[in-house]
Amino acid sequence: MHVDLLGAVLRDPLGMTGSALLGLVTVMAILAPALSGYPPDLYTGQILSPPSAWHPLGTDSVGQDIWSRLLWGARTSLLVGAAVALISTSISVIIGTTTAIFGGLYERFWMRAVDAMLAIPPIIVMILVAAYLRPNLLVLILLLSALSWPGGARICRAQTLSLLERTHLSAAATFGAGWRHIIRRHILPDLTPIMLALTVGAARRAIFMEAGLSFLGVSDPTMVSWGKIMQQALQFTYLDVWRWWLVPTGLALSLTLVSLSLLGFALEGAMDPRLDGGQRHGDTRSSHA
Amino acid sequence: MFRRYDNLTVARALSSRLPIIGLAATGILLLMLCIPAPAADETVDMLTVADPTGDWGFPSPYAHYSRGPGYIRMSLIFDTLVWKDQTGFVPALSESWEYEAHENAYVFNLRKDVRWNDGEPFSADDVVFTLDYIKEHPYSWVDAEIVDKAQALDDSTVRITLTRPYAPFLDQVAGTLPIIPEHVYKKVSNPEEFRDARALTGTGPFKLLDYDKAQGTYLYQANPDYYLGLPKVQKLRFVKVSEEMAAAALKKGDADAAAVQGESARELERAGFTVLEGSHDWIAKLMINHKKPPLSEVKVRQAIAYSIDRQALVETILRGFGLAGSPGLYASDNPWYNPDQEQYAYDPARAGDLLVDLGYSRQGDCYARDGQPLHLELLVTSSNERAGEMIRQQLDDAGFEISMRSVDSKTLDNLVGEWKFDLALSGHGGLGGDPNILNKVILGQGFNSARYDADTRLSDVLKDQNAEMDPDKRRDLVFLAQQIYASDVPALSIYYTNTYWASNQKVDFYFTHGGVGSGVPIALNKMALV
Repeated sequence: MHVDLLGAVLRDPLGMTGSALLGLVTVMAILAPALSGYPPDLYTGQILSPPSAWHPLGTDSVGQDIWSRLLWGARTSLLVGAAVALISTSISVIIGTTTAIFGGLYERFWMRAVDAMLAIPPIIVMILVAAYLRPNLLVLILLLSALSWPGGARICRAQTLSLLERTHLSAAATFGAGWRHIIRRHILPDLTPIMLALTVGAARRAIFMEAGLSFLGVSDPTMVSWGKIMQQALQFTYLDVWRWWLVPTGLALSLTLVSLSLLGFALEGAMDPRLDGGQRHGDTRSSHA
Repeated sequence: MFRRYDNLTVARALSSRLPIIGLAATGILLLMLCIPAPAADETVDMLTVADPTGDWGFPSPYAHYSRGPGYIRMSLIFDTLVWKDQTGFVPALSESWEYEAHENAYVFNLRKDVRWNDGEPFSADDVVFTLDYIKEHPYSWVDAEIVDKAQALDDSTVRITLTRPYAPFLDQVAGTLPIIPEHVYKKVSNPEEFRDARALTGTGPFKLLDYDKAQGTYLYQANPDYYLGLPKVQKLRFVKVSEEMAAAALKKGDADAAAVQGESARELERAGFTVLEGSHDWIAKLMINHKKPPLSEVKVRQAIAYSIDRQALVETILRGFGLAGSPGLYASDNPWYNPDQEQYAYDPARAGDLLVDLGYSRQGDCYARDGQPLHLELLVTSSNERAGEMIRQQLDDAGFEISMRSVDSKTLDNLVGEWKFDLALSGHGGLGGDPNILNKVILGQGFNSARYDADTRLSDVLKDQNAEMDPDKRRDLVFLAQQIYASDVPALSIYYTNTYWASNQKVDFYFTHGGVGSGVPIALNKMALV
């Protein structure tokens, strides 16, 4: 089923574009040291120099190579995106499935907590907390994860509740399967498409939030980040440098976000029988049953 | 002017060969010549000054914001006993003055032709009233304790007796304190809240026509009763323009004068604007918690000084638009600067030697003593974190283990004020004014001050220089203070930023000697406008 889903995404032109873009950014991030001639925090001594053979995107106001900073910024963005996506989706799935199975006070407690957290706009909370804590990378990831799981938890719970109605689950329960076994063997596989969609969504939001917080100057000052690069570039818009300083960084951030959005669309299309892939979806489900 | 001659020569050369182009060029040149070039002594109908902040408060002595630009806006309406131009003190409300050493008093002979802008005559009683008034209602720019008593000897003579010998008196009191009208302010018990038009009854060259707090704009009109005659500038306007846009506003003609950044300054100069470079009054300082081990050891502080390449910081962070910090506080182009002081040229090896002397040994990348690495936290704000990052790297390379934390500027000031820090990157202005600033930023209790009283010799020298009325002796004491301060490193001077003031030719601006009033480093002296 998972393979089918990925195949469906890749056959979708939107999904393919998204994957290609994301793949490109990922390769750039991984190969950053090989692709750039300078460490991102090296002071080259050349201030605000225009693009040249040595500095493909020139240097910024303190003489650091913009191309290197762009590549290392991709590392930060992707790391934050991937880590937050994993952590927040895991929390969503754990809370979602267990509340659906156990019900009672446990469920009511978590669902009210989810309601409360959904009622507060996360970006506002994040700005307030970050302004106070000035989080480093790890704290930032944890904070973003802590704020982004509630929506997913509610979706997982709804899906689990509907799965629990299925006959194969009743059968498994009848044969004496414990809740751990049921979650692992029956619920998680059927939740996979939703988990993938949640992961992509959480990654997109996390990358956006990290850039936003860095742009506002409330993150770790030593972190190389696209948001920070743009904030620094904006102070020099009265010179020509914005063309190779601000624009490429903005493009990189936008393309990464767009690639994740496209992947998200494609996943949705692959999962929703009414949009596309209904046949495949039905097939996989019956094969499981 | 040179440019115009060049054009003429070129045009003549061209016209001999290409008659049509020549005609056109000559026509354009004729047009250019027809537009009268504004001479500096003609009247100016409207002068527009751009300011990035805009609102600096209602421009009465007690309601303006306690920052330089607020003081400037107030000083257009109110006068002081003496004033300063680009070379030094000039008469203002007082025509002449003398110091009576045996009485420790100043006698001021006031002008007799001065009227308040509501028509009432100005007299010695107003001066006495003002000096009494600031004892009850402290004016934040003047220390009222210095003045023991003020007496009107007659209608135009005032004697001001001081509580103790105070060398900065002319600069910090007589040249700073705006004289307010007795007939208006005697009924005012809460001057901060006094905002009607009568609060702006002054003797200065301008009257306020309009102040828009929300838009950050001010509009002044020339005062026809001004004692030096009707000012040259008829109307003066302040508008809010961000610093990045200031150059564009000047070129477009939306503003006549503005503070601009280094790159723009060069460009504007090429475009024919007058660009003035200010003195180096604003200093970026590395505040050091000298009460906390290991920073309480002077050699550790000296090691930090040797580890930081201040010249590289100027070239990189300030893009060359600045001057490397002098360890004795005063910039090397300041008249009070003492060249004979420890300079701490960049020398990380020397820093290492100093640390080894103290029992540290290099373990890997970092020095350590008794198993404890030399770890320090550096506080920065988002506006100076790039400088902070470079300092962190330099200290790291020299063997310190530095973690950097970015906080907002108020938090940084609070943490420094409460001694809850190791190192903090901060800064302040005021170095262009009277050497009293040394006392404020070394002995004073504010967060901008090193608050360093561990060296009694330094404390004594500083107190003595403030009380020394003989200029030469005072200079020696100020020089000595810089030497001691530089060798003790209670805080480290990093750099001074360049400031640029660009204007078209409507008015000849200048930077005031020692700053306007008690050291405002802005090229907006009202004497340039009258």
